[in-house]
Amino acid sequence: MGAYFTAAVAGLAAGGAYALLGVCAVFTYRLVAVVNFVGAAIGAAGAFAFSMLVERGAPIGLAAVFGVAVGAVVGVGVGAVMTRWFAESPASTKAAVAVALLVGLAAIGLRVTGGQHPHEFPELLGGSAFRLAGVEVTNASLATLALAFLFTIASTLFLNRSYVGLQLRALAERPVAAELIGVPVQALSLWVWGVNGAATALALILIAPQRAPNFLTLSLLVVPALAAALIGVFRNFWATLAGGIAIGVMEGLASVIPHLGEFRAAVPFVVILAVLLWSQRGARWDEAR
Amino acid sequence: MRRDSLYSAARVVIVTLALGGVAIALLPGYWIYLATAVLIAAVSLMSLGVVEGRTGMISLCQLSFAGVGAWTVGYLNVAQAPGGLPVWILIGGLAAVPFGVAIGLPALRLRGINLAIVTLGFASAFDAILAATTFPGQTQFLQVPRPDVFDSDAGYFLFVLITFALIAGGLQLIAGSRLGASWLAIRHSERATAAHGVGIPSAKLSAFAMSAFVAGIAGGMLAGYLGTLVADNFTMFGSLSLFAVATMTGAESAEGAVIGGLLVTLFPEILRRLALPQDIGNVMFAVGAVQALSSGETASQALRRLFGKLWRHRAIEIAPLQPASLAPRRDHGEAAALTVRALTVRYGAVVALDNVDFDVPARTVIGLIGPNGAGKSTFIDAVTGFLPRYEGGVSLCGRALEGMDAHARARAGVRRTWQTNRIAPNLTVGAYLDLAAGGLTQRQLEAALAWIGCPDARVRVASVDAGARRLLDVAGVVAARPALVLLDEPAAGQSYDEALRLAKRIAEIPEIFGSAVLLVDHDMDLVRAACAAVTVLDFGKVIASGQTAKVLEMPLVKTAYLGVVDSEAA
Amino acid sequence: MSALVVSDLVVNRAGLPVVRGASLSVEPASVSVLLGANGAGKTTLLEALSGVTPQAGGRITLGGEAIEALRPGARARRGLAHVEQGRTVFRTLTTDENLRAARRDADTGAAYALFPELEKRRGVRAGLLSGGEQQMLVIARALLTRPKAILIDEMSAGLAPVVVGRLMAAVRKLADDGLAVLLVEQFAALALGIGDRAYVLRRGQIVYEGACPALARAPELLHRLYLGDHAA
Repeated sequence: MGAYFTAAVAGLAAGGAYALLGVCAVFTYRLVAVVNFVGAAIGAAGAFAFSMLVERGAPIGLAAVFGVAVGAVVGVGVGAVMTRWFAESPASTKAAVAVALLVGLAAIGLRVTGGQHPHEFPELLGGSAFRLAGVEVTNASLATLALAFLFTIASTLFLNRSYVGLQLRALAERPVAAELIGVPVQALSLWVWGVNGAATALALILIAPQRAPNFLTLSLLVVPALAAALIGVFRNFWATLAGGIAIGVMEGLASVIPHLGEFRAAVPFVVILAVLLWSQRGARWDEAR
Repeated sequence: MRRDSLYSAARVVIVTLALGGVAIALLPGYWIYLATAVLIAAVSLMSLGVVEGRTGMISLCQLSFAGVGAWTVGYLNVAQAPGGLPVWILIGGLAAVPFGVAIGLPALRLRGINLAIVTLGFASAFDAILAATTFPGQTQFLQVPRPDVFDSDAGYFLFVLITFALIAGGLQLIAGSRLGASWLAIRHSERATAAHGVGIPSAKLSAFAMSAFVAGIAGGMLAGYLGTLVADNFTMFGSLSLFAVATMTGAESAEGAVIGGLLVTLFPEILRRLALPQDIGNVMFAVGAVQALSSGETASQALRRLFGKLWRHRAIEIAPLQPASLAPRRDHGEAAALTVRALTVRYGAVVALDNVDFDVPARTVIGLIGPNGAGKSTFIDAVTGFLPRYEGGVSLCGRALEGMDAHARARAGVRRTWQTNRIAPNLTVGAYLDLAAGGLTQRQLEAALAWIGCPDARVRVASVDAGARRLLDVAGVVAARPALVLLDEPAAGQSYDEALRLAKRIAEIPEIFGSAVLLVDHDMDLVRAACAAVTVLDFGKVIASGQTAKVLEMPLVKTAYLGVVDSEAA
Repeated sequence: MSALVVSDLVVNRAGLPVVRGASLSVEPASVSVLLGANGAGKTTLLEALSGVTPQAGGRITLGGEAIEALRPGARARRGLAHVEQGRTVFRTLTTDENLRAARRDADTGAAYALFPELEKRRGVRAGLLSGGEQQMLVIARALLTRPKAILIDEMSAGLAPVVVGRLMAAVRKLADDGLAVLLVEQFAALALGIGDRAYVLRRGQIVYEGACPALARAPELLHRLYLGDHAA
């Protein structure tokens, strides 16, 4: 029993990351109606910018700010492609574009960061917070969890209380009517992409040290992110948050179950399959077409 | 239709074998070796072509299916199973199918995006599984042996060439069938395809299962090609990259698949020789895919368009009328074609249809008119099964339709047309008619086209103008000879003369095809000329019913259309 | 000078010609009424004016300036407001939020002065308002962009005559205060009661142009234009 609890706690770190990435995916989907396959890759750009700057001797805090900024810029770039050519395209086309951009961005990223071998990532938040059930809970994992909660709360508050959030909600609901009353549709969409890029970059900066990743493995964190977003039905931030944490915990548990340990990376897939099996009872076909 | 598709399938096979033969004769050894890789990549691209290019579903795990095929071949080799490589490859393809079904089934009833997400999840899970295992036989240094006849490089190229030709020909054959047409139609509009009586989830599942099979075959061939394999051959990123290439080149056609295969194989080769980084290839594919998506045209479609300009233009003809060749009129009995009792539809607090009673007698043309918002579209949706729920009863020739979803009702005998254009532009006119009406001979199809005034069956729908597509929509539902035909604004955008010509045709439908017709339109000229009787809806209620000329003169109807009449001024 | 001038407008939808060379004009401080049976092309015409649907030919001038090349947002900023059919409120936003979406510092006081019924519903989600209230809301929301000309598409659809009368009176007042109004209606009688100029659209072409009072006095003519034989 103790081993399971320990494993579960160990999975919280990853769970916080998945939760944050998942909330970002729901944020993007609700506001600009795109399933963001390229989200994690955008964040990876920022995370690696951070890492490379630190390698060249920059102070870690400044490098982190720069990394977040790079994430925002790359996000705006992707958003520009989406709004310029695909603003009126159906959801499946936008998804295909996102996948293509993922391929391109990952290819560029791998080239710039020197390929697929693991990288040592500088720790933005080093050190241990406390020990729980014999497992060291690092500051980074705590920060990621906290960030996930903060982003969820901030997103909800922002959308409901601020003026830009009001315009965004109007835009998400009826883009044509919003444009007709003067809401700056294109600028707001780019803003959403930029914020998403920045948040994802910060998330990946925090968790990358624990994973010794390369650009590709960071970009492919989109899978558990989307699994978490599916649990939230791409609408509900809190369900997504809980889902992401749950996926992390399940992965942690899987790693101590005999014979399952090697396949813990398959957990997000099992979750996706389960969620889809649940939601398809009663559906007939793709209602959008 | 069947003969045509046999010819085109045979053409594909022959051209492929001929070009391959030329390649063997002319190319030196290393290039033959590369050409084999091109063809294997082309086969995996064709698998994506079936699911994405034809049916419009995004699948991001094709290389994982290939991996299943490859690993199966490896196991069969280690187990010394009988049959040799060709049989093992076939089994490998079949082994991938259950995976495809298991993954696809939950996602197919939902929005297309869900399939993309679940296939991406499968690809990442498969990566994890592969990373934990080695290719069967690798530790014993057991290579997958090629068949004796095809043991050399040139020999194996021939083996792969034959397989590629068979698959390409087979897919072409399916493309010409009703199933293949339904795939293209589903890509364009699932609702309209269901309205033709096609079961959507099973059609999508067949496409997905077929693509898993073809991908599995590609994997098996790769096992024979390299002798032993590693996880790196079947990564998730590889599947994503393959997706980008397929999107860019249009892998649903054999030539698109080959172009893609050339890109995937030769790009790294060229980059290597130029001492440029390999990742540039993927960036090019990404840019190409985005470009194809924004312009709506893949590389192979662009090539076909450019070459098409070189061939002489086949003029779009209206086939001469041959009334004797029309399919015989179907007798649906004397019972009223449509009986609607107490039909009520609520959207929240709004009552769209309020206790509507309505009959369409057999072999008559009845009009349904009413001002905007009166409930006409809701009525059609309710009768044809496109509303999730309604109150009241709808019967077709005395048989209750409740409990039957849209495609079942279409099979039972009620067909409809659509206000917006929902005919897949990549189909030919003849293929669309075959999809809609199924079971007719070539001559009967052509006669139906001639009757309504549609272009020749070989013309692609994309070249047909919008007005003629409306007529094609009508021809499709009518040629199926259902008990009831519902026409939803067929005269939209037509001139006065065109509308009158259409009205004459519509009036003939009961006599020639045996169906009853319910015509919904705003065009009073059309309604007057085609309908014996007319029913008027307003605010979801029936307010008038009877002979067309009389009803259109009623003050009640004038009020409904023109608003509250100021009685003092009148 | 006319506030809004449309010359030989051609609009296609999915390849089908829906508006085939229509011309009309709207003067400041007046109501032009565009009538026609459904399917005549009225909504498509308005959508081409505001830029929602691209046009295939013709000119559109707002306050003397050609706007046919501008995106919908730019046309809105130049002073062309479009109230679409179907009461396009932002359902999940409250009445007040709907108004503020148009303008941050919205003078909601003026809006509630025009439609006092909305004031007591200011905190209610727009999706829960009645049809009439929603229609008032979309009109008030469009006015907050301080337009020179406003296009209103079938505001009477699905509403009780009493409510429609209320809305018509409000529209008349807007015109009297200087706005150029192009009112599209299927239900002619009430619209003709408040309009100055009338146009009838049939099959994408203007088949009648005249003064509203004259057309209101000739219901048989109107009936023929809507439902009667085309040849006549």
